[in-house]
Amino acid sequence: MIPVNFDYVSPSTLDDALGMLADGSAKALAGGMSLIPSMKLRLSAPEKIIDLGRITGLNSITEAEGGIRIGAMATHHEVESSRLLREKCPLLAEAASNIGDVQVRNMGTIGGSAAHADPAADYPASLLALEVKLRIRSASGERVVDAADFFVDTFTTALEPGELITEIHAPVEEPGTGVNYQKMVQPASGYAMVGVAVRIRRAGGKITFARVGVTGLSGKAYRAVHVENAITGRAGNPAEIQAAAALVGQDVESNSDIFASAEYRMEMARIYTARAIATALARTA
Amino acid sequence: MKIAGTYTLPFEQEKAYRSLQDPALLAKCMPGVESLEQVGDAQYAMKMKMVMATVSGSFDGKVTVADPHPFTEFRLIVEGSGKIGFMKGDGRLHLKPAADGTEVAYEGDVNVGGTIAAVGQRLIDTTAKMIIKKFFEKLVKEVRAA
Repeated sequence: MIPVNFDYVSPSTLDDALGMLADGSAKALAGGMSLIPSMKLRLSAPEKIIDLGRITGLNSITEAEGGIRIGAMATHHEVESSRLLREKCPLLAEAASNIGDVQVRNMGTIGGSAAHADPAADYPASLLALEVKLRIRSASGERVVDAADFFVDTFTTALEPGELITEIHAPVEEPGTGVNYQKMVQPASGYAMVGVAVRIRRAGGKITFARVGVTGLSGKAYRAVHVENAITGRAGNPAEIQAAAALVGQDVESNSDIFASAEYRMEMARIYTARAIATALARTA
Repeated sequence: MKIAGTYTLPFEQEKAYRSLQDPALLAKCMPGVESLEQVGDAQYAMKMKMVMATVSGSFDGKVTVADPHPFTEFRLIVEGSGKIGFMKGDGRLHLKPAADGTEVAYEGDVNVGGTIAAVGQRLIDTTAKMIIKKFFEKLVKEVRAA
């Protein structure tokens, strides 16, 4: 449980941190909820750690230009307890409140979780359903990437060596949008065996807008477009919800491990998708 | 853990079969492989470095091609061990013509042990699938470029 020796630096500005990360050899440390355990088990042995924890201003949550900007170093606790997010982008706050346990929520960060891209992490389902934009910086510049392009594969994102996520831009929900995150919890780890994030709007008795993000089911989080299309235009009665939720695993290969077989996980995904849609719909009023 | 799947290579069957048994090509296409040297009849010594999320580790291992039925089927055994654990994959690859090339169907067993299995049990399946996918994608690229 003791890591291999490593150099440790804790820069006080983002520019300093980006400079230190520029050559791609050092590892950035955000909340450390995945990196530190892995180092303690000696599954990883980075030579140099750049701790982002002392950089001020990277954890702010503010409203700007019709959206909400969440600093990458905002902890899960800061996201779940943000009044701004609870009022204007409640899905993200709800997802954050479901992550791990209190200790993890006090340390882990939204940027760290996104950059790690664990296929069973909670956040990616909501980030995809919200169609957030991720602001990414390196020593040589800045770019903005859509969530759909960011999550490439298992533990693989669009981040290049030397790049850091600095901000996540989430939308302010239109009035009448119902949201919900439903999660089947792996009891030991707290990870999602299956997690489903839904945003939905209904007008004149018909569903006019639906976004469904899924995590835990396959090698990467994804948007269940087949479910979205099947439920849009419907009234949203139980039979229609069931029929739409049944499509959650279309074109997706289900994970299997010692806790849940592929078939079981797929069935749970259908059930949790139906629950998330029904709950989100009930909140549209 | 059982693993099975298919991948269609856009080559005719003989070329697909030969590509899948070409050690130089395999070394280039298997993610993380640093070297692959022939040590016996259809047996190769392999050094690979795996980097996956926060995990990184080196493995020494061997690759054996057995039971060849040109150009339709062969058995592939990949074994490796390192500080962070060990792994063994043993499977069969079946090749058959498809409309747009050759369909490779694989099925086999993957066993992983040591620290990496103790803490990464939930990720073995996903990781194995991703490695296989990356391997085939790279193989297509390399063969086309050759």
